[in-house]
Amino acid sequence: MQQNHHLIADHLSAGYGEKTILNDVTLHIPHQKISVILGSNGSGKSTLLKTFCRLLSPTEGNIMLDGKSLPTMKSKDIARTIGLLPQSSVAPEGIKVAELVSRGRFPYRKFMSPLTSEDYAAIEEAMAAMEITDLADRSIEELSGGQRQRVFIALALAQQTDILFLDEPTTYLDIAYQIEILDLLKELNHCKHTTIVMVLHDINLSSKYADYIFAMKNGHLIKEGTPEEIITADTIHDIYGINSLVIPDPLSKSPFVIPISSHDAAKGIS
Amino acid sequence: MQNKKTITLTFFGMLLLLIAIVLSVTYGTKSVGLSDIIDAVLSRNTSAYNVNVVRARIPRTLFGLIAGASLGISGLLMQSITKNPIADPSILGVNTGAALFIVTGIAFFHIQSKPAYIGLSFVGAMLTTGFVYKLASLGYGGPSPIKLAISGAATSTALSSIISLIVMPDSSVMTTYRFWQVGSIGGASNEDILWILPFFILALIVSLSLSDQLNTLLLSEETSISLGLHVNRTKALAALCGVILCATTTAMAGPISFVGLMVPHVIRMLIGSNHFPLILLSGIYGSSVLLLSDILGRIFGRPGELESGIMTALIGAPVFILIIRRAKVASL
Repeated sequence: MQQNHHLIADHLSAGYGEKTILNDVTLHIPHQKISVILGSNGSGKSTLLKTFCRLLSPTEGNIMLDGKSLPTMKSKDIARTIGLLPQSSVAPEGIKVAELVSRGRFPYRKFMSPLTSEDYAAIEEAMAAMEITDLADRSIEELSGGQRQRVFIALALAQQTDILFLDEPTTYLDIAYQIEILDLLKELNHCKHTTIVMVLHDINLSSKYADYIFAMKNGHLIKEGTPEEIITADTIHDIYGINSLVIPDPLSKSPFVIPISSHDAAKGIS
Repeated sequence: MQNKKTITLTFFGMLLLLIAIVLSVTYGTKSVGLSDIIDAVLSRNTSAYNVNVVRARIPRTLFGLIAGASLGISGLLMQSITKNPIADPSILGVNTGAALFIVTGIAFFHIQSKPAYIGLSFVGAMLTTGFVYKLASLGYGGPSPIKLAISGAATSTALSSIISLIVMPDSSVMTTYRFWQVGSIGGASNEDILWILPFFILALIVSLSLSDQLNTLLLSEETSISLGLHVNRTKALAALCGVILCATTTAMAGPISFVGLMVPHVIRMLIGSNHFPLILLSGIYGSSVLLLSDILGRIFGRPGELESGIMTALIGAPVFILIIRRAKVASL
């Protein structure tokens, strides 16, 4: 099922109303890798992700999927290739977990017909991957924040897309849930070779989990590369305007950023 | 996934509807027995007085059946489109818009034919829906549930004053309007039913065919789009069905409030948010509630009768308050 998809932003600009936020970005989403888009607030990282997921129309340039521009393709065909976990998800009141996950089958549904055995298989697989099979008959209100987020990711997985975008999937979650979600995504990328692109705020988690990083600033893509290439004191300063100390993570050897505050400087540590 | 509840509720609804239908043709100022109904249905013994009483009540019952289902489904569609548990044709001002156009028709163009009522009602309802939606879309954050409810209420109040302005100076218009405005299913004729039936069937079929889309629409807009749903097309089609359903009913019976609000809300609470059964059950229970309100109106209004619109408001108001207390979340 996994195909060799090419997803490209070609001189892409986008924004809200008159205001251009994303400015002339060209990039190629790395195939079967986990990519993270880093950037300060207002850098255009969320706008970039929203434009990839058709929530915003480009004001200039194109998003190309396998050589075709997105607006020329059928909506449901795109939905079978590109999935999204938005920043905040909404569930109808009282809905059961399994039914909510089944909503992810929408792009495959035939007109006015019940769920097929393929649909059920996809739903079960998605729930198993997110380890929520036991919660199938619970209603969504009863779940914890971390469980709920896993249900919404399962909804996106039931969509069986080769490419999955996630907009800050760990926001509002405590560190245990953050690690749990990111581990599950890593597992998904490893087993199903799903291409994952996400916006994350935490630089160190990005460094730990990403294969590839896009660094955004003021609507421009300023640098891209592996965590080792991007997570350096210079680039962190370029993106966020802060001074930092970058050391190798003692466990994973990925770069680890320690921000330097003005108090540290006063004590003469840096 | 909640099949058992749905089946139980369907069974109970059919039973309730059957009871409502039988009561509606038997009970009234002149009560008749079951044997008279059978005679009337089989067209036997057509000269007997009781049989004719039953035959006279059949159009009213059939009309109540269609009108109640229309209102229930219309309310459901509006709640789903706006993701607002307190949306219904009267709260969003759609009924008042239809009423204004009909009153204008009565006062200035002396309309009398049913198609003219339906046509004007539909145009009025459509324009008001568009206007309220646009009004609620102004400013930051788009048409949120709260903004929709407020624009609906404001628009409805404004339109009501215009209606008064037209109606007050002319006593003959006032008389016609007064009886239409309270919302009664009592005056329905077989001809009326033939006029609204095609609209009802069309809107019902289209709504049912939109069930999967409506299910997807209830997720966040971002998720709907990434699932490949044409969000605006779905909303427009469903709104069109909702407006057709409430406009035809309003044209014939006047604005009947609260059926469209409470029926879908209670059903949703019981069976969840799958639209195929939701649409069917909102229809079944909408019919039952309207018919039973009509029957209660005949009981409480003796020796005359109270219009069903008054009864639904009497029953509906307390339910409305309950719903608001429950729906502090203000979204589905």
